[in-house]
Order: sequence, then structure tokens, then C-alpha cells
Amino acid sequence: MSASSAVSFERVERVYGAGPSATRALGPLDLELAVGEFVAIMGPSGSGKSTLLSLAGALDRPTSGRVALRGVDLATRTPGELATLRRRSLGYVFQDLNLLPGLTARENVSLPRELDGVSMAVARREALEALEAVGLRHLADRFPEDLSGGERQRVAVARAFVGARELVLADEPTGALDSVAGERVMRLLRERCDASGCTVVLVTHDATHAGWADRVLFLRDGLLASETRGSARLVPGV
Amino acid sequence: MSVRNGILALLAEAPRHGYALKSEFARRTAGTWDLNVGQVYTTLARLRRDGLVEADEPADGPRNLWRVTGPGRNEFATWLDTPVDDAANRNELILKVLLALDGPPDRFRHVVNRQRVFAMERMQEYTRARPALAAERDLPDVLTLDALALRVEADLRWLDRCEERFADREREASGRGSR
Repeated sequence: MSASSAVSFERVERVYGAGPSATRALGPLDLELAVGEFVAIMGPSGSGKSTLLSLAGALDRPTSGRVALRGVDLATRTPGELATLRRRSLGYVFQDLNLLPGLTARENVSLPRELDGVSMAVARREALEALEAVGLRHLADRFPEDLSGGERQRVAVARAFVGARELVLADEPTGALDSVAGERVMRLLRERCDASGCTVVLVTHDATHAGWADRVLFLRDGLLASETRGSARLVPGV
Repeated sequence: MSVRNGILALLAEAPRHGYALKSEFARRTAGTWDLNVGQVYTTLARLRRDGLVEADEPADGPRNLWRVTGPGRNEFATWLDTPVDDAANRNELILKVLLALDGPPDRFRHVVNRQRVFAMERMQEYTRARPALAAERDLPDVLTLDALALRVEADLRWLDRCEERFADREREASGRGSR
């Protein structure tokens, strides 16, 4: 594991169930994602994409092997520490946005920072900056139901990157958006990745979206079938 | 055929000199299709032979101003109105995969994987070119990149389909063998 590794998998396996009905969803898998790298994961349904994302995002634990974020083995962390890690250092953009309907765009973005103990004034400023970065500052006081699908997804991107996130995980983030709105969201993920130096892991079925990544991994039957060459441009020190 | 019709299309817009045709062709195809001057003049000579364009001077040369004739305008209109049948073109990727199909399974998977990685790297290349476009206002460039990316996407989807069908065939074969 190198010092510039944001995520590392060592012989990671995830098996669901036990005995004869046990199903191996992933692995054994060895993988290193560099700091600042934008990685896309592709593969057919059931190939292990979302399992990989859940393990990298500390939302699940491997059956065997070791998952480390910035060199820290997640198995050594208590549930409370993992919850803090998820809140402070990880951002999520899912197809199901999970924006809270009773909060404005700005409040949705500032909420994770307020929960983190940051003062309301700082959280508010950071949220407005994050909305500015995704071109939505002028809609900061709108509620989710008053935004288009593309705008809601951009709010979710702003929320995922607000504060000092180290890793952002996106699972089919463009969902039901049309191709132009979907491309705008991908472009934003790319821009936010470049501007923040944060590592981004994207699960997608859409090759035109995976094209925004530095490296594309193809999974099949829980194993790495092939991968594109990584771009060194965003991997300082490697 | 495409170059011939492309030049005819540009002359149907306005009379042009040979070098201007070369520059305009490159500009309108977002730099993806660069003609050399010799190719432009050879094509113009053939178009003139066929009565589709005419020039001020009888001899071919850089000073000539070229314009489309009535039959040339008709030919351009017919071309524009005729759907492009790409399926009729022979495709090396299809040929390669089909010929690998009955070889060793590992070789087939290797061919598909190699092609998939190559196609994805092309996709990354086209995607990286996008942010450099001036706020997506340069429509020929944007549409060219869209066309290239979506063709690669089609190849990638077809490769996935090849792999799935091949795996189905392997499973069926092993099921029959174990019975």
C-alpha cells in the first residue's frame, strides 16, 4: 500500500449467506485507488460493482481481507468511529438522492457540516460556496420539489463535496436524467474532483459517463476482468 | 464518395477556391477529417469531368474559382436525401470477434477484453476533449464528439452482448456435457 493510496483492497472478499447457499459477490480482489483519482467501475448486473462501492464507502464490511482508507484498516474502527468517518470524510451521490424535502437546497448541503459540529455560519458559507461551484447559488433557497431532476442531482453533488471530503462515492448518479443533464452532472463530478483533490469512485452502466474517469475498471463475476490505463495527471507523487 | 459529396455540398453553398475548400472541409468536420490539397484537386477534376462543377479557367490550378452546376446541385440534394446505410459497410471489429468465436475460449475473451479497454480509452480521450470546448457553443465540435463517443458506446455494448452470449453458449455446452 503506497502513501498516496486513498483506498486499498487486499484480498477482499464479500460473501453473502453461508454453507451451500453462500454467494460470493466480490473477490478476492486487490485494488489501489490513488488520492485525487477519478475511478469508474463498470460491469454487468451482479458483477460486484455496488458491493465494491459499499465496502470502499465503509457501508459494509468484507467477509475476509482488508479494506483501508488512507492507510487506516476499517476493521480496526468501532461503529461510532466509522459513522464519524462517513460523516466527515466521505460523500455519497446515489440515484435515490436522499435530499430532505423539508429543507432548502442550502440547508440540505449544510446539514452534514452542522451535524459535524461546524458553526451554522461556517456551514452556511460552505454550503453557498458548494452550490456556487455547481452553478446553483441562485436557487439556494428553493426546496427540492421546486427544482428540476438535474438541479436536484447537482445539489446532491454539492452536498457530497462540501467540507474537506477525501472520498466521494457515486452509484449511478445520473439515474433518470436525460443525456444532456446527465452529462452536466458528470462534468460537475469531474470538476469537483479536480478542484478538491478528492478521490471519486463512480459506478455506472453508461460508458459515456465512465469516459470522464481517469481509470475504468471492468468487473465480471466479482473479479477485475480488465482496466484502462490510469491517467497520471491527477495522481501527484506517483 | 463522402469527400466528393462533401466538396459538392460546400460548393452548393458558395463558389470557392481549392484551398478554401480544404480549410472549410476541415473546419466543418471539427478537424476530424483533414484533406490534402492534392485530394481536393483530384476530386474537383473528377466532378468537372462528370459535369457537376465548373471553374473559370479550363486548366486546374489554385487560381480557379469553383462553382456547382445544376446537375451538381441535384446530385447534392439526392445525396442529402438518401439515408446512410452503415450496416452495409464491412466492419473489422465484427470480423475479428466472429473469427475468434470458434477458437479457444480464453482467446475469445482476450480479444473482447482488449477491444473493450481500447474502446474505453478512446471514450476517455473524446470525453477529455469536451471541457476544452468553449461552453459547448461550438456545435460542429460538440456534435462530432457526440458521434464519436456514441459509436464507441455502441461497440462497447456490442462487446458486452458478445461476452454474455458466449458465456451462455459455454454454460449450455457444459450442461450438455455433464448430463
